[in-house]
Amino acid sequence: MIRSFRFTSLLSAAKPLRSFACSSSPAIEPPQCSSSSSISLRITHPKTPLFLRAPSHAAPLSEVWKWHGWAKDLASSVDDNSSPEDEDSLDSILLLRELKWLIEDSIEASDHHHPVIITGTETPRGDDGEKKSVKLRASLEELYDLWRQRIEKRRPFQYVVGCEHWRDLVLCVEEGVLIPRPETELVVDMVEEVVRGDEWFKRGVWADLGTGSGAIAIGVARVLGGCGRVIATDLSHVAIAVAGNNVRRYGLEGMVEVREGSWFEPLKDVEGKLVGLVSNPPYIPSDDIPGLQAEVGRHEPRLALDGGVDGTDSLLHLCDGASRMLTSGGFFAFETNGEKQSKMIVDYMTSNLKDSFSGVKIVSDFAGIGRFVTGFRL
Amino acid sequence: MRRMFRPMIMSNLIRSCSRATHPIDRTIPSSPSSKIVRLFSTEMEPQLSPDLIKIMDQRLSAIEHRNAILQRLINQPEYSQEEFSRANKELRKLRDSMELITALRAIQKEIDGLKTLVSESSDDKDMLDMAVSELDEAVEEEKRLQTLLLKSLLPKDEADERDCILEVRAGTGGEEASLFAMDIFRMYERYSQKKGWKFDIVDITESDMKGYKEASAAICGASVYGKLKFESGIHRVQRIPITEKSGRIHTSAVSVAILPQADEVDVQLRNEDLRIDTYRSGGCGGQHANTTNSAVRIIHHPTGIMVSIQDERSQHMNKAKALKVLCAKLYEIERLRLQSSRSKLRSEQIGSGDRSGRIRTYNFPQGRVTDHRVGITHHAIEDMMEGENLDTFIDALLLRQEMDAIASFSSTS
Ligand SMILES: C[S@@+](CC[C@H](N)C(=O)[O-])C[C@H]1O[C@@H](n2cnc3c(N)ncnc32)[C@H](O)[C@@H]1O
Repeated sequence: MIRSFRFTSLLSAAKPLRSFACSSSPAIEPPQCSSSSSISLRITHPKTPLFLRAPSHAAPLSEVWKWHGWAKDLASSVDDNSSPEDEDSLDSILLLRELKWLIEDSIEASDHHHPVIITGTETPRGDDGEKKSVKLRASLEELYDLWRQRIEKRRPFQYVVGCEHWRDLVLCVEEGVLIPRPETELVVDMVEEVVRGDEWFKRGVWADLGTGSGAIAIGVARVLGGCGRVIATDLSHVAIAVAGNNVRRYGLEGMVEVREGSWFEPLKDVEGKLVGLVSNPPYIPSDDIPGLQAEVGRHEPRLALDGGVDGTDSLLHLCDGASRMLTSGGFFAFETNGEKQSKMIVDYMTSNLKDSFSGVKIVSDFAGIGRFVTGFRL
Repeated sequence: MRRMFRPMIMSNLIRSCSRATHPIDRTIPSSPSSKIVRLFSTEMEPQLSPDLIKIMDQRLSAIEHRNAILQRLINQPEYSQEEFSRANKELRKLRDSMELITALRAIQKEIDGLKTLVSESSDDKDMLDMAVSELDEAVEEEKRLQTLLLKSLLPKDEADERDCILEVRAGTGGEEASLFAMDIFRMYERYSQKKGWKFDIVDITESDMKGYKEASAAICGASVYGKLKFESGIHRVQRIPITEKSGRIHTSAVSVAILPQADEVDVQLRNEDLRIDTYRSGGCGGQHANTTNSAVRIIHHPTGIMVSIQDERSQHMNKAKALKVLCAKLYEIERLRLQSSRSKLRSEQIGSGDRSGRIRTYNFPQGRVTDHRVGITHHAIEDMMEGENLDTFIDALLLRQEMDAIASFSSTS
């Protein structure tokens, strides 16, 4: 009997239909960006995440087993190589969980070889392992390479597999786009609460500024449920391509419009008309950037992180813009670096912009940190 | 003579119709009688004693009477909106029973007709044979309807229709208990697959040898709780552990709990009562940190219940699962509270409420599984572990529940 563990089913996450999936061959991919404000000559093709690739590789079970053994050893070895007081070190328990997910994403499940067989503790009986072949979405060499990148280069796991599970979504991500954070899931919860309280919010136009992978915009669009509209903007060309692709994968082309440009610049046509404005702008103080966790500092785009000297450059700009862009009664929610920044933003809005906003308050994340500032346009 | 033919043919039609729809009904969840049939789809049927039928007939008359009053009531325009809708609601509740009663009355009328026919056609052999066989069929049908009606009159556990949460926990026996916990957990997974139910793993805590210290799953499907509730209790295993070199047989135990699923409205969950914790990387969080750790722990202050889930890939999904488990636990507490305030309860008689009772023994060397509550032994243990034949026990337990309910039905009447 093969002892193994079962994965918590991926199916429970709202995965979009395969037909929306980005194609693995860039040649047949339609142009990606629906940029309205700037015409770009470069056309960026989003990468296909592992789980959406065709299972076009095969390897003997014994070889996959060998790879898994090697990957596990590598993951376990990180504990020996780091001192406990080192803040920025890998954690083998987490790595082993990631390995489980990597297998889940890269091995095709079938009756004969469910991904579970790979994680079993027993070795294949007899020559079973030689005979049985496993279908893979990446070659074994690539899997060796990917896992080495994860551990040796500290490449974020989400870039390794090309996707991030966020809320009930599976979003494509790649280098050049910020990996959505769990804290940010709450922005959508806050929107949901506001919308539940007043149907008016459902029918108007929303904006998600600095949309990155499109996470917030897609989450909000699903909360609005068919009637509303969301405009998602970003300055980054890669972000625009990736967000557009994610929007398409969830079949939301009719609801979410992706526009390239800086903050409010691509939104001139909706000035004073927005019923909602949400953003998770870059907010890390520039001086903190060099000391960031390796996965973040070495791999994620600086444009998505660096918020200027005290980190509030973009946030303050957004506050000013919010008073211009929102219609009376409109809602806003911004993510910040935490307590200190949240207080600064609240101060700014209740003093400099006191005639524009009401109900401005700080909302905490699950770690109890004052993470968000929300309020309404007067 | 000829005029007697029509009712006979008609009655045949009625009966064959009702029989034809019977098996199909089982797959249609919305059909009221099908629920009852599905739930009690067992070869063994309780016998209806004349006493029981007499008691039931009184109840049926009372229902008919009440139905007539309500019908008259809603046809009177001077009644207020409120009275009207209250009456309407009650009528809707009675509707399923009324359908069966109407069918029963029709067949009883037919039986009377056939009896007269039998007594009148003693000199016509062919006619007599035909009438007698018609009568037999009609009596059978009457019995079937009476059984259905009886079942619909028995007190029902409102939770039977719900989905459930399965929790398996390794008990005494160390590593071997964990391995058996995994076997049991997977037995329910396979059984659920065979039933066409959705089996969603909630959380698994592995032991050193990849057994399960604890495992939980959400199972969804028609009347899942009603079917599985009797699985709650201690499951004992006797076998030679794979870790055992000397070949000695060990005894270890696993506890199983089946909880009906509930939502936040069922248990009136209040946000203020919850504390939700997530993994915090120590630093500032947000954009500073990239972690795949999206574990969520929920503490319910009033009860002190704590649920933590980490195996989903997003925090949102971990939280949703944790809430689901929390709601099921709170709902169960509330149910137990209500149960204990009531007198003798069916499930108590069978022991579904009692988590500490040993309910079943899996003896591998002898290849048998014994359920101690119904005293039934099943001899193909491997099949059982593959999720086959669990129905042997479940059906017997359901039948027993039914018999107990009938017993209390006649004693309270
Ligand atoms: C912290 S990331 C947030 C991404 C995404 N909303 C999320 O929560 O995952 C900030 C985003 O703002 C974008 N950004 C930076 N400067 C910008 C600007 N001037 N105008 C528009 N977007 C900008 C970055 O490209 C990046 O995608």
